Amino acid sequence: MLIFSVFKTLTDQRVTVELKNDLSITGTLKSVDQFLNIRLDAIEVSDQARHPHMMAVKNCFIRGSVVRYVQLPAEHVDTQLLEDATRREAASQTKR
Amino acid sequence: MLPLSLLNAAQNKPMVRTLHNFLQERRNVNGHLVNCDNFMNITLREVYQTNADGDRFWKVKECYIRGSTIKYLRVPDALLDVVKEDQTRAREAGKGARGGTHVGGVGRGRGGARGGPPRGGRARGRGI
Amino acid sequence: MSSLQGYVDRRVLLILQDGRAIIGVLSGYDQKSNIVLSDSKERVYSIDDGVEEIPLGLYLVKGDMIILIGEIDEERDSTIDLSTIHADPIPPIRY
Repeated sequence: MLIFSVFKTLTDQRVTVELKNDLSITGTLKSVDQFLNIRLDAIEVSDQARHPHMMAVKNCFIRGSVVRYVQLPAEHVDTQLLEDATRREAASQTKR
Repeated sequence: MLPLSLLNAAQNKPMVRTLHNFLQERRNVNGHLVNCDNFMNITLREVYQTNADGDRFWKVKECYIRGSTIKYLRVPDALLDVVKEDQTRAREAGKGARGGTHVGGVGRGRGGARGGPPRGGRARGRGI
Repeated sequence: MSSLQGYVDRRVLLILQDGRAIIGVLSGYDQKSNIVLSDSKERVYSIDDGVEEIPLGLYLVKGDMIILIGEIDEERDSTIDLSTIHADPIPPIRY
């Protein structure tokens, strides 16, 4: 749930999503949902020559379960805040 | 339009082709769709099955396929229009005539009764 | 899955787990992201030959199979001569 919130704060930022089929797509993050399905706008495929399959695609919906990595813009992630939130969540879980 | 309403309308229509993935083995299955449920479990009749390479064929009288093993289904093109018509008709008939029309619709060939009111189709308890 | 709403009645590209690329008009979907494509065609890519389009008609794809759904820019798509495109097929998913 925490990561879902992180993604929500990153809407309208450029991110690069690497899929489990080695396709790598950069685009503007438009929305995420609880499954970490991702909507990207204005997309570019990283290796256009090797993957011309998406040439005519401008925006896409990616199923969360096939995402391997998401590269985030470092300047838009407050890692300090994230660490604190993680500790808080961990603490609340051990208490339960 | 919901995928399942399309499948519901495809019941008793010829030529539904499915590919399913039993134990990582891809097989093609062709047949008459007789029944389906909300998990997309289906029963087919007059089935032709192929192995993964497509070089061996089996004819099977009837078979049941668990929905979770299905990758995709190919349905006759004409069904799209049938379902769309059914839905507009159901919407127009809609609210007033709820319940009356779609209860005993088993013998009704056209799938109209089954397509039914858009969200009414939950309990389809006809056994396989 | 509310975010699929914008794709209804649009021409889309589906990329499936087994690496297949299917284009078609998205006629419907549900919570499990099962998808109905009408007028669909599979685009078969190969290094040696250009892209081959195989008509598939009305297709229902299970949600579990889907990796990606992309909206096709018709204008851009019409400028692409598929027969000149030589590329390997998209690899299947490896977990």
